[in-house]
Amino acid sequence: MMKRGILKPLGFPKEVGAAPQNDGCLRKDWGAFQGSPLDPPEVTGVTAGNYDVLIVGGGITGATLARELSAFDLRVAVLDKAGDLPSGASRANSGMLHAGYDDKPGTVKARFCAPGNKRYRELHEMLDFTLRPWGSYVCAFSEADCRHLEKLKDQGARNGVPGLDIVPGDVLRRREPQASPHIVAALHAPTGGVVNNFEAVLAFLDNAQQNGVELFLDTEVRRVLLTEGGGEVLGVETSRGIFLAPVIVNAAGTHSGEIAALVGDESIQIRPTRGEYFITDKAIGSMIKSFFFPCPDERGKGVTVARTADGNLLLGPTSVRQGDKDDTATTPQGLAEVMAGALRLVPSIPQELTITSFAGIRAADRTEDFRIGALARPRGFVHMAGIKSPGLTSAPALALHVVELLREELADRISMKPNPHSIPERTHILRFAALTMEERQDLVRQNPAYAQIVCRCETVTEAQIVEAVRRGARTVASVKMWTRAGSGRCQGGFCCPRVVDILARELHMDPDEVTRHGGPSRLLVGHTKAFWQKREAHHA
Amino acid sequence: MPEVPVDVAIVGAGPAGVAAGIGAREAGAKEVLVLERDWDLGGILQQCIHPGFGLRTFKEELTGPEFMHRWIERAHGAGVRFSTNTMVFSMDDDGSLWTMNPHRGIEHVVPKAVVLAMGCRERPAGAIKLTGTRGAGIYTAGTAQRFVNMEGLLPGKRVVILGSGDIGLIMARRMIWEGAEVEGVYEIMPWAGGLRRNVAQCLDDFHIPFHLEHAVLSTHGRDRLEGVTVAKIDAQRRPVEGTERYVPCDTLLLAVGLIPENELSRMAGVAIHPGTGGPVVNQFLQTSKPQIFAAGNVVIVYDLADNVSDEGMRAGRNAALYAAGDLPCGGRRFEIKGGKAVRLFSPQWITDGGDATVFFRVVRPFECRCKVFADHGLFSQTHRYARPGEMNEVHLSARDLRSLDPGVTSLTVDVEEV
Amino acid sequence: MTRTHTFLCVSCPVGCSLTVEEEEGVLVAVSGESCPRGRRYAETELKDPRRTFAGTVAVSGGALPVCPVRSRGGIPKGLLADVARAVSQVVVEAPIVIGQVVIADVCGSGIDITASRSLGGRP
Repeated sequence: MMKRGILKPLGFPKEVGAAPQNDGCLRKDWGAFQGSPLDPPEVTGVTAGNYDVLIVGGGITGATLARELSAFDLRVAVLDKAGDLPSGASRANSGMLHAGYDDKPGTVKARFCAPGNKRYRELHEMLDFTLRPWGSYVCAFSEADCRHLEKLKDQGARNGVPGLDIVPGDVLRRREPQASPHIVAALHAPTGGVVNNFEAVLAFLDNAQQNGVELFLDTEVRRVLLTEGGGEVLGVETSRGIFLAPVIVNAAGTHSGEIAALVGDESIQIRPTRGEYFITDKAIGSMIKSFFFPCPDERGKGVTVARTADGNLLLGPTSVRQGDKDDTATTPQGLAEVMAGALRLVPSIPQELTITSFAGIRAADRTEDFRIGALARPRGFVHMAGIKSPGLTSAPALALHVVELLREELADRISMKPNPHSIPERTHILRFAALTMEERQDLVRQNPAYAQIVCRCETVTEAQIVEAVRRGARTVASVKMWTRAGSGRCQGGFCCPRVVDILARELHMDPDEVTRHGGPSRLLVGHTKAFWQKREAHHA
Repeated sequence: MPEVPVDVAIVGAGPAGVAAGIGAREAGAKEVLVLERDWDLGGILQQCIHPGFGLRTFKEELTGPEFMHRWIERAHGAGVRFSTNTMVFSMDDDGSLWTMNPHRGIEHVVPKAVVLAMGCRERPAGAIKLTGTRGAGIYTAGTAQRFVNMEGLLPGKRVVILGSGDIGLIMARRMIWEGAEVEGVYEIMPWAGGLRRNVAQCLDDFHIPFHLEHAVLSTHGRDRLEGVTVAKIDAQRRPVEGTERYVPCDTLLLAVGLIPENELSRMAGVAIHPGTGGPVVNQFLQTSKPQIFAAGNVVIVYDLADNVSDEGMRAGRNAALYAAGDLPCGGRRFEIKGGKAVRLFSPQWITDGGDATVFFRVVRPFECRCKVFADHGLFSQTHRYARPGEMNEVHLSARDLRSLDPGVTSLTVDVEEV
Repeated sequence: MTRTHTFLCVSCPVGCSLTVEEEEGVLVAVSGESCPRGRRYAETELKDPRRTFAGTVAVSGGALPVCPVRSRGGIPKGLLADVARAVSQVVVEAPIVIGQVVIADVCGSGIDITASRSLGGRP
């Protein structure tokens, strides 16, 4: 059990003059509209607000930027079409912080991967998200593979990756007894790590909101509003109304190409590329101490086996082009490929111990590189597009870069004065499962809701779920991302009815209105008795 | 942390745990404490509201709650103490238990003997490699049962059921009674997983199509389930070409197996049998740790609640005897083995210190006269059939065991056609 | 004319497969049962097939929103849908005592629907 040290009060920052907005109260993420959180009405023509910067997309890219911008005296809003965050690729990925040897020197990816990796290590304690510096290995099975390892090592050196060294297969197996006997050598990257990607996105967004950034969910950008002649941005028209701002950042993931096209920029062409994964029971998480890659090929880094930040094994991903930007269905061929690839690296994985599978869509641009920059025309429009692996890793470094870009290139449109009230730290919801017995006892005495276990598999208490709702969770999936309730071996079989009950109670909804992940994803169709009445009315 | 010393502690107040409490008290244990995480007693039987329980014990057909009511009344009468809203979140090597309760906080229950009666969890979709989208509307059958029978909420209106274990069959009928449509039940094996009576009463009675040797291949519907693709499968469990069919539905219930919930057992270092997924036990229901006993579905997935309660009684009694230092130990040890026709069995070893009943499930149906037997002439009984959905029993007497040849160290139970 | 039917006896979990010969609705021969209940079941299944009904009834002011109920005896098969509908229309006030009659003589069947558990008031 990881000792968390002195328990900080939930959500309340240190006293530094006036408290910032959103000081731990219910986040202002419903923005301009009233009414049921589940069926927010379409609003047209109404101006929802005036801002300095609008960030289109609340994934890791938008979230890290929002957090950096919240250090300035700016009105910032993050808009996302999803009902809960993170959605898209930020929700469904391997959680890996890549060391940075994989990217061709000279590319934007190569420039930001290693610095992003470093930035995560600097930030994770301050922002209280889980990071495990496990280290990673690229595994060679042949002579050709070994030559490839040399190339990667070389590339890594040029990209500023520290500590790379190639070890023989026997050394790898001494450190990692479960690694395949067929591995002849491996490139060890000590700075490879894994994060809980949900916690990371939520941490950046949470901190941003505490410092005044506003978050609007279920808000889809339909048009970018430009001055007459199209030379400058004015704002965006969304499904929730019009937001006005002199700077708009396109961080829209798989839809970043469409957002770019709204201002006439056809150069961003997203090629959605699906990656499928398995997660295993935590009982076998300790089979390995780090994470393994095969040698990469033209499709990507290959099927990996990783020990996740929370102690499961993650197997995957595959890499398959698809047409749909949002379809995250897994396939039998894909999952078979995942298992085969995983067994190649760690042959003793008990296949029957998978507990869930999922797929994510990479927002790969046709150039295969990140597309970062401010457009000359219309002025005020900034791209952070084509963010695919190592997108998660690079994001915090990209955010710092874009802050500088705004300061240098768009100083005429926004003024980057520091915000004296902004607070760089935040605490996550208390991880009850990670506390010592004494810490748990103290908490339980203060609040009996900590003695009410809701998720038995991951030891998540009612108090944590209530806090998640307080911080903005409205769906079963959001509760899961905030607290891990439902992530365990029974996959919500035990806790789902209880989570539904708590959501309904805390949000003053009927339980049958609770959704899995927002929008039309209702979990239940009604109350049991209502059905006979409906049928009777029908037949009458 | 406050310590709570007791003679016998029992984890779970379902049919095994409540009976264990009674068994312990009736065997003379003074302080018998049953720890239950739910706010009420009864375990999974609280939500099993259909009749079919207690025929052997009470000679009546009771619903799950009615069955538990009788056992709970008897437990109260016997002086068993219950602690509800109490989650056991950790068990130490010595069998002592760490519990959490909203009023009393964290406590350290220190028993002289423990009976583990945690039951099972359901196998989730990820474990059967179900592919497709992840919309709302995919549930394990037991979770859906909880929603319907205790929360009064309906999971969906047009249901497909994967798996024909009893919970799947029961939920087919239950959903019909709450006004839903059940499109069909799909089962990968060539035979039903649950009791024949349930096939008759839950499917045949309602003309619900029952598709054997079929699988649900994938799910469709991004936000809410919209349909599933099903297909016939071959002997290698691969889809047969040309048999794929799209079935519109908004609910998929999974009845694809129960897994004994042994997280606590593992924490305490109790040896787990890879076949059953439950603790290795002897006929006294004693695990590899002499002070830790186990009973019910946490040991092996049972078919009849009566067997679970009986076993609970015995485990409670033996735990009490152990706590008092009176449990007979030693004696000749025999390993139990399952023959060719046997899939799962319990106990996994016995001594000649007492009579023993070995429960087992066959690997496939025998729809013919067959004999259920143990070797060395210890037991033989003819039956008209043997089915995976119904447990078989082999009864061994202590006297017969003691008179076995000294060289015999293992006994095999099996079923053969006659 | 003698007709043969096959159905499963549902008197208990064993589920004996009964082969039943009847003539003009009168039982002629039964085989396949393993206890006396089997023969009785065959007779009733021909003349007057019945099923025990088990469902839930809505509760007001209770610790749970619904309470399990069951019929105290077999309901004629043809009446089951009406019984389900009737049960869906009743709201019972907590506290409820196990065995209490929720609907007497449901749908004129002569059979009562009783509560299958005790249920306290909302805590």
